[in-house]
Amino acid sequence: MSVISNNKVVPAWSSLAERRALRRRARRKGNLQRSNLTAYLMIAPMVILLAIFVIYPLGYAVWLSGHRISFYKPAVWVGLDFYRFVLTDPQFWHSLRVGLTYSAIVVPTGLVIALLLASFIKTLSTGVASVLKVTVYIPAVIASVLTANIFVLIYQDQGIANWFVGLFGISPVAWLNDPSIALPAVAVPGLWLGFGISTLILLAAMLDIPSSYYESASLDGANAFQTMRYITLPLLRNVFVFLAITGFTLSLQEFLLPLIMTQGGPVDRTLTPNLFIINSFRDSTPYATSFSLAAALLLFVVLGSISLIIFKAISSVKAVDG
Amino acid sequence: MQKTPLAKAVSAVLAVLIFVSILFPIAWMVMAGFKGKTEVLRSPFQFFPDTWNPRNYNAIIHDHQFVRAMIVTFIGAVVFTLLSLFVNSLAAYAFARLEFSFKRFWWVFCITPLFIPMMAILLTSFVVVAKLHMLNTFAVLIIPGVASSFTMFFLRQFYLSYPAATEEAALIDGANRWQIFLRIFLPQSKAPFVVMGTVSFLAYWNSYIWPVLTITDPNLTQIMQVLGNFRSERGNDWGLLMAGSSIAAMPTVILLLIFQRYIVNGVRIAGMK
Repeated sequence: MSVISNNKVVPAWSSLAERRALRRRARRKGNLQRSNLTAYLMIAPMVILLAIFVIYPLGYAVWLSGHRISFYKPAVWVGLDFYRFVLTDPQFWHSLRVGLTYSAIVVPTGLVIALLLASFIKTLSTGVASVLKVTVYIPAVIASVLTANIFVLIYQDQGIANWFVGLFGISPVAWLNDPSIALPAVAVPGLWLGFGISTLILLAAMLDIPSSYYESASLDGANAFQTMRYITLPLLRNVFVFLAITGFTLSLQEFLLPLIMTQGGPVDRTLTPNLFIINSFRDSTPYATSFSLAAALLLFVVLGSISLIIFKAISSVKAVDG
Repeated sequence: MQKTPLAKAVSAVLAVLIFVSILFPIAWMVMAGFKGKTEVLRSPFQFFPDTWNPRNYNAIIHDHQFVRAMIVTFIGAVVFTLLSLFVNSLAAYAFARLEFSFKRFWWVFCITPLFIPMMAILLTSFVVVAKLHMLNTFAVLIIPGVASSFTMFFLRQFYLSYPAATEEAALIDGANRWQIFLRIFLPQSKAPFVVMGTVSFLAYWNSYIWPVLTITDPNLTQIMQVLGNFRSERGNDWGLLMAGSSIAAMPTVILLLIFQRYIVNGVRIAGMK
């Protein structure tokens, strides 16, 4: 079977070059037409699955959040009522504050740890470096559920966390039951699960910085801090923006760790936005579904706009390209 | 850069410290599996068990619920991974190498889900699968997550960078696009397939909230459901829970160790975009 389907009558007097050009044009046209059917068949499974399990549910969520439904009566359009209920629910605002506090703990700390680790790994010999690279990745493959349970064990009254602070003469802490400590305590496993990938991404970006930059810096007598401050950090700006935004959007959506470790307690101090939404969905009060959907869509908007603000803020200072 | 012996020693000590502290929670989990009920929470802290008693590990690998969940989840994860690679690589190939009408529209359609937070669709996805009578089936665990914008995007980046010459030669020799995809592109896709296959396997193996919402049938209960609900269902038997957790973490760590070279480089590709 030939792809070249050139049925046009080519005048005998046309030059060889002309004939070639014609044939090429015909071939390209043929491909384009044939590709339509092939391409549609190739993207069809993905498009159909996304339509059923992503796009339709999203549209349905938008629709439901504006309707009051019950089993016996047709759905009633209530406009933005559910959004108003959510926005006037103090628990929603509380959960948003919890979520933002959690992000404010996890994202900057995670970035600093990743930066320190990546700078350190960069100085190591290849063998040791590759062992550490795999090591930092290991926490990332452990399930949140397992990590949550491990840390609940660590935080038990007679657990090692209390043994450890005891070394410094601090009396035992009720890690997951003390309202002022529970959220940072939940953030620790969150950090542990997340720092590895940021470290590897930062390390890859650092290795892309030409070594001549560092050589000239050391010729000029720059010390380690100056090199970090004036060469490494400015050149990593784009990577930091990327990591900060993805880290923020992921951490604001965290709910598995508090769900398993504290169920949102004590006194809702670890009730993250998504946990609030899941709890409202499972609530047996009428219209719980519409209410929780309105909350989920509002969170979607909040996530999007804050990501945009972070993006604008960090990239307002013009990025330096290596 | 020349290093003094002192600097070398300091960085070696630091490397060991980092290694130990990163892996500590995992080691603690494995150790707790060997400890008795009171020993596991004994203060002062003692890392190694008094005696290496495999009682908890023995008990958990003879626990029907646990073993069934491990097997069912493993089968599900393998099927999920293969389907995901198939569906997403086909679309990735089409977007990378073919020209077709409304390509731009379909591209936006397929990539938009990357920016939709999970919670915005989780609840109505549940309503959808309930209406499709998919609750408590194998299909509900596998099918809804198969199409992945991230996997597709990653594979497309790979196919874009693939040189055009071989493909053109094959076209002139009369191969069609399917043959080119199956005979030329798939065999070359080992590296991205390993990376995205691992990501898919991990996503399935570690998932908790979706099975909790959709599965109540004990024959289909997933491993993270068993371990996530362990304390509320069986109380604080820490030794047994940690033994089960250690075994449940093994497939993911083994995958990482086998494919470490691909995965560490894969992070690099994903980070650069």
